[in-house]
Amino acid sequence: MNHPSYLGVFLTFARNSLIRDMTFRANFLIEAVSSVSWMIMNLGFYTLVYRFTPSIADWDKYEFFVFISTTMFVNSLVQAFFMPNAQELSELVRTGGLDYALLKPIDTQFLVSLQRVNWASLGNFFVALLLLGYAVPKIEGFELSVWHFVLYPVYVLLGVFILYSVMITLAATSIWLGRNQSLYDFWFYITNFSRYPMEIYEGTWGTPLRQLFTFVIPILVVINVPARLLARQLGSEQVFLAGFAVLATILSLLGSRWVFRKALLSYRSASS
Amino acid sequence: MNAIKVRGLQKSYRVYQKNEGLWASLTGLFNREYRDVDAVKGIDLDVDQGEFVAFLGPNGAGKTTTLKLLSGVITPTDGEAHVLGHVPWKRENEYRRRFALVMGQKNQLWWDLPAQESFRLHQKIYRIDPAEFIRTRDELVDLLDVRHALGRPVRELSLGERMKMELTAALLHSPEVLFLDEPTIGLDVIAQHNIQKFLKHYQEERKITILLTSHYMKDVAALCQRVVIIAQGEIVHDGSLDDIVDRFSGHKVLSLQFADERMPSDLARYGEVLEVVAPKAKIRVERSSIAEVLSSVLSSYSIEDISVEDPPLEEVIADMFKLTAKQQAEEKASQVPIP
Repeated sequence: MNHPSYLGVFLTFARNSLIRDMTFRANFLIEAVSSVSWMIMNLGFYTLVYRFTPSIADWDKYEFFVFISTTMFVNSLVQAFFMPNAQELSELVRTGGLDYALLKPIDTQFLVSLQRVNWASLGNFFVALLLLGYAVPKIEGFELSVWHFVLYPVYVLLGVFILYSVMITLAATSIWLGRNQSLYDFWFYITNFSRYPMEIYEGTWGTPLRQLFTFVIPILVVINVPARLLARQLGSEQVFLAGFAVLATILSLLGSRWVFRKALLSYRSASS
Repeated sequence: MNAIKVRGLQKSYRVYQKNEGLWASLTGLFNREYRDVDAVKGIDLDVDQGEFVAFLGPNGAGKTTTLKLLSGVITPTDGEAHVLGHVPWKRENEYRRRFALVMGQKNQLWWDLPAQESFRLHQKIYRIDPAEFIRTRDELVDLLDVRHALGRPVRELSLGERMKMELTAALLHSPEVLFLDEPTIGLDVIAQHNIQKFLKHYQEERKITILLTSHYMKDVAALCQRVVIIAQGEIVHDGSLDDIVDRFSGHKVLSLQFADERMPSDLARYGEVLEVVAPKAKIRVERSSIAEVLSSVLSSYSIEDISVEDPPLEEVIADMFKLTAKQQAEEKASQVPIP
């Protein structure tokens, strides 16, 4: 009995975060409403684009809506569970607040990765569910199978884990650098890049870029793999990507864990 | 049995030497000069189980760094330490469940939530049995007299109440070793006194080992039998408070009350006159000549009341810091080879 109940601790984090969010009710509502409206505006924009073209890089309108829903699932999960914590880490390092996390008889990475839950960000999760329910049946020749129900959520989660790994690695570098507040910018670049089908990165510049962000920093896998599994027929390319996504997730998680632990050894704390 | 055993503990930091001004900042982007700061320079320390030890020293002496090393927050450059048989910086859960660190300057409670929610979190993290948890929590909040504030968000508490909640949080898992880093900083006299009273009671009852740093001599005098003084990363004294006064204070304070309003004007011949408010006077007298001065004063004037006291602890300690700083500087100078 050397370990606390991680689930129990996580539920308490979630509960405490909810209590706090409810204390600042208006803030909670504004946050939820603004992120949902941003996604709806995005949706409107793509509807507009599809009035002028039947498909983008071979993705027709409803397939692309599935892609957008996937983006929303992944982003809302990351923003609810990991984003506030990764961002807080840099601040904890700079102010020495990480001291207290290091004292607790619990895995430090777990503690700093999950102690805040931003419930408002889950608003988009429900919008995504609606959108998916609307778009999937309209895809031509689509036949729903049990596999879809199993694989799609699993791959959405794998995508979340990949983004988490990248994010916590970046945040952990603030232990060495003293301060690293580029996280938000970084998040913006990544989501901007990964929220399009990977086929659009093609040509002299596009192909190397696609390979870099698939095989080296696997952020293109995050949304593309689950979205393809649902919107496309299962072909050999899909199977290869799906297999690769599992490997990429495991390697990302292990890599981030290694960096995090290494960084903690160099933690210097701050003045009293 | 030793609760804490430290041998040759060292910690040095590499810091970026920043020169003044914008130009220096810009050139510093490309060409950085670093300097090693030795925060703790190889200290040895043994603390028995159940001891209440004060750690004194001027700002930047290495007190907090030592506490952070012993709690495993930072790793040392060199040396060994064992607390309850564990090497702190291995950060084992078995060790982390058995001690606590409270820092007066930082808070670990959730700012926007009532303290009781943070306590519940501690219960989960430290795996405290629910019934045991309720019992300990109630006992602590009653002793500290903050039960009424349990349900108020931490940001709405007074500094004193917040500190008491911090203490409660740290003690919920009944640690065997407690590190207190300036727990009464910024508190008013009453709150300070309450916390002292609580710590004294709690320590006597539970016989836990406590290391305390504080700048308030009242804390130290009220709580600790043993005082370790650290200056510029080295231990310069380890003993009782009385030892310090004996060793470092060459003076006593003589308070006189004269029988009539006529105050003598030649008091300065006995020593430094600290204060004269007729018919009372205070004089700082060399310790070695106190007997002589007393008999001379008593025979020369008609005296109504007289007392001889040690100077205030703050003053003794301040004198001592100055003295050790001077000694350390001289030592350093003597080590420099003469060309």
